[in-house]
Amino acid sequence: MPEYQYIGKPARRVDALEKVLGTAKYIADRKLPGMLHARCLRSEVPHARIVKLDVTPALAVPGVRGVITSEDFFEHGLYGFPVKDKYMLAYQKVRYVGEAIAAVAADTPEAALAGVQAIICELEPLPGVFDMEHALDADAPQVGPDRPDGEHPNFLDKLIVRKGDPLAVWEQSPIKLEERYTVGPQEHAYIEPEGVLAVPTPEGGVVVYAPNQSPFINHGNLALVLNLPHNLVRVIQPPVGGSFGGKDDIIYESSAQVARLALITGKPVRMVFSREESLIVSYKRDAMRMHIWLAADPDGTLRACKFDGLLDSGAYASESSFTAWRASIHAMGAYRYDACHVDITAVYTNNGYCGAFRGFGNTEVCMAIEQAIDEMAYKVGMDPIDFRLKNCLRLGDETVHGQRLTESVGLAECLMAVRRLSDWDRKRAEYTRRDVACNVSTTNDIRRGIGVAALYHGTSLGAEGQDYANATIAIEQDNSIDITSGLTDYGTGSRTVFTLIAAEELGVRPERIHMQRPDTDTAIESGPTVASRSTMLGGNAMRIAAMNLRQTLDYAAADLLGCELHQLIRHGEAYVGPAEEPVPWERVVAHAREMGLALSAHGKWTAPRINWDHHAGRGTPYMAYHFAAQVAEVEVDMGTGNVQVIGFWAAHDLGKMIFPQGAYGQLYGGIAQGLGYALMEQITFVNGYIQETNFESYLIPTAVDVPEIVGTFIEAPFSHGPYGAKNIAEPAMVPTAPAILNAIYHATGRRVRDLPANLERVLLGHDLAKGGSPRACKLGLHIA
Amino acid sequence: MLIEFTLNRKRVAVEAPPDITLLTLLRDYFNLTGTKEGCSVGECGACAVIMDGRLVNSCLVLAPQAAGSEVITIEGIRGPDGGPNDMQENFITYGAVQCGICIPGMIMAGEALLMHNPNPTRAEIRTALAGNLCRCTGYQQIVDAIEATARSREGNR
Repeated sequence: MPEYQYIGKPARRVDALEKVLGTAKYIADRKLPGMLHARCLRSEVPHARIVKLDVTPALAVPGVRGVITSEDFFEHGLYGFPVKDKYMLAYQKVRYVGEAIAAVAADTPEAALAGVQAIICELEPLPGVFDMEHALDADAPQVGPDRPDGEHPNFLDKLIVRKGDPLAVWEQSPIKLEERYTVGPQEHAYIEPEGVLAVPTPEGGVVVYAPNQSPFINHGNLALVLNLPHNLVRVIQPPVGGSFGGKDDIIYESSAQVARLALITGKPVRMVFSREESLIVSYKRDAMRMHIWLAADPDGTLRACKFDGLLDSGAYASESSFTAWRASIHAMGAYRYDACHVDITAVYTNNGYCGAFRGFGNTEVCMAIEQAIDEMAYKVGMDPIDFRLKNCLRLGDETVHGQRLTESVGLAECLMAVRRLSDWDRKRAEYTRRDVACNVSTTNDIRRGIGVAALYHGTSLGAEGQDYANATIAIEQDNSIDITSGLTDYGTGSRTVFTLIAAEELGVRPERIHMQRPDTDTAIESGPTVASRSTMLGGNAMRIAAMNLRQTLDYAAADLLGCELHQLIRHGEAYVGPAEEPVPWERVVAHAREMGLALSAHGKWTAPRINWDHHAGRGTPYMAYHFAAQVAEVEVDMGTGNVQVIGFWAAHDLGKMIFPQGAYGQLYGGIAQGLGYALMEQITFVNGYIQETNFESYLIPTAVDVPEIVGTFIEAPFSHGPYGAKNIAEPAMVPTAPAILNAIYHATGRRVRDLPANLERVLLGHDLAKGGSPRACKLGLHIA
Repeated sequence: MLIEFTLNRKRVAVEAPPDITLLTLLRDYFNLTGTKEGCSVGECGACAVIMDGRLVNSCLVLAPQAAGSEVITIEGIRGPDGGPNDMQENFITYGAVQCGICIPGMIMAGEALLMHNPNPTRAEIRTALAGNLCRCTGYQQIVDAIEATARSREGNR
């Protein structure tokens, strides 16, 4: 493997200093003279027709400067991709509790609230759909848009994978499993609630500071709904206080609202959500119900998998059809089968709405399939790691989709690594003997268990869409280097990854390089910042840009040193020619200027073409896959149902690690999110009303809930990735929940097939009826 | 009402309504925006500051309660040269920062811990951070950074 100067070496995160000093300016920290404060009137019912909406009383409230409704947007603000079904402000109907109906801008937050409360809004309640199982009933109330194709209006999409006839194999199989699993919605719980700031420009346009993941999508939406030419709309991404998939649609909506208010009032307008507003209004990870059939031979060879999934998209499509597609591709897990059918159906309900969240469908299906695989291991009497090793995808195998894996398949190595690191075989044997397991505590019945889960996760967008990215690089007059990317960093560390790649290719110190903030006026559109694609797509683009600039400097150096290009070598930043006299990099740059050469370059990288046949359910879904295995060790209090994760080991094949602290940070953070998903994070919709409206009821893991994690990276390089790199952000969290659930089973003999595995599910095996009411939502939205 | 207290080692006096929180006072009256608002109910710790040597959630402290007290915010945590102090430097070195929104509160929690327990175990560090939520890091590199700071401060004692 080649020796790199900066790639894979410890580095300083480029935006860490301002963050540790407290000087980084997030949206809520930014204000301008005369800035107005915006707030939305939001629906207090889950489904209703808007029969009257009169905003004139709000305009009479002292301090109120502007009020808008859907009438203030082109085509009422209809937007959405791939399905256009949502409005920037509700038009004619509301479909979930918290949906924005009107927006007010005022001198103070208090005046904005008074303005909202003065709006006359009459809602005629409609019956709702609150159970995804009944969304497609013939008499179900219509939530989704009209379907001219004759489909049920609450039907969003169905995604399939097809190989052979798994049920026929299953019927004949000596060893079979049929089980059902469910996951509820999950909240992203970024610690920074949503916020947007819009500033009107003298030429009639607007600059929007928005902590969105994909500023160019926001830019396109804004130009559309504001009916402005693209050059009059600019979107800048400030520091983002966490996103995890969560700051797209909701931020686009808030952006459109404050942008229109800024254009109407001629003043800067900022909207910042409270935590309650964030939890009630923002989209969540989709809830899913899953039904799995598995068949195996007595020797432990997996034969068939049938997977039926139902996905609750809530009131709007958002990204759910893409989520359902990624779920369908990964539903059977990283294993070989003779036959496999997957059917994932996405439907509309009035349970909030759901969209992108780290793992994007794979997190949901992995929880189910990796438990089912564990259950099969017990049925055939094999150790769970041995069973996975026997059946897992290896180099040269063909996936059930029909894709031959020709490189970068590190799953078996990952499984063997976590086996060794976790001391699996000893603990497995020890905790299986119940007498020992019961002796952890002398006063309480506390039992230990250890469980494993495996993972594969397709890199980047796959056959979801066009896959490309752009980067630019330029040497400034002071010999510093500016770089831009159309992909953004909302905490992931991609700005540092791009900086290290530019430094490596150019042969300069990273301190020379300034990675610019994402700005639609200066960066080049690169598709959405999603799907853990930044390192591979943006990294390749940056590498090409830097290589292009490097070539220019090499010509200048050869000219200066009077030699051929191939005679140049580098000592640190300096160039050295045949005379062995080092020439400082700055002199080479100066010479390039004298030669009239352009000291800037562009790089674009387009992923290899892949194809997926949606009707046949076959093809090549992704260009490469991340593989991983995780092991969890738990202690379960048999008297209370409390689960403490006491050890965690993770081995991930990310192709190549670029920024070590960043890669480990993604790994640890992903595991913590997966731990929360497994044990405590619960969103409850009762007749469409969310019950968890702040962190006292929506619990996320604290530092004492997360154990010390031992992580290791297996580097099975991918030839199209920069330096062999694939991805890490999403895959880090995907196998965590099933690893913990499998450990709980090992400790207790009880399968928890519904997430989260809270106290009552672990202790009693079922939910306690807690009821619920609209109260928390109404308090959270200041609805009297 | 007039509220007088010591803020980041300087005597200050400010005219402010009695019903606002210390968090609002810091952010809106002193423009010290390093202290963040994450939940407003004392659950997330993004607004943590040190008040008379104790870590408090400034969203749960009424501004008048600050009268006569000594308050340190993230803007008061600096090295001798005005740059990052050793703890802040370790947060960078150990990769403890991702989105960064919780980091001021985490650093205040770390400093408050080391004031009372200069040589904490990793378990004690985790307990001291239990009131500060981070959604990005899984806490491990934050614990690493605080542990390294404690070790080097002990070594220099």
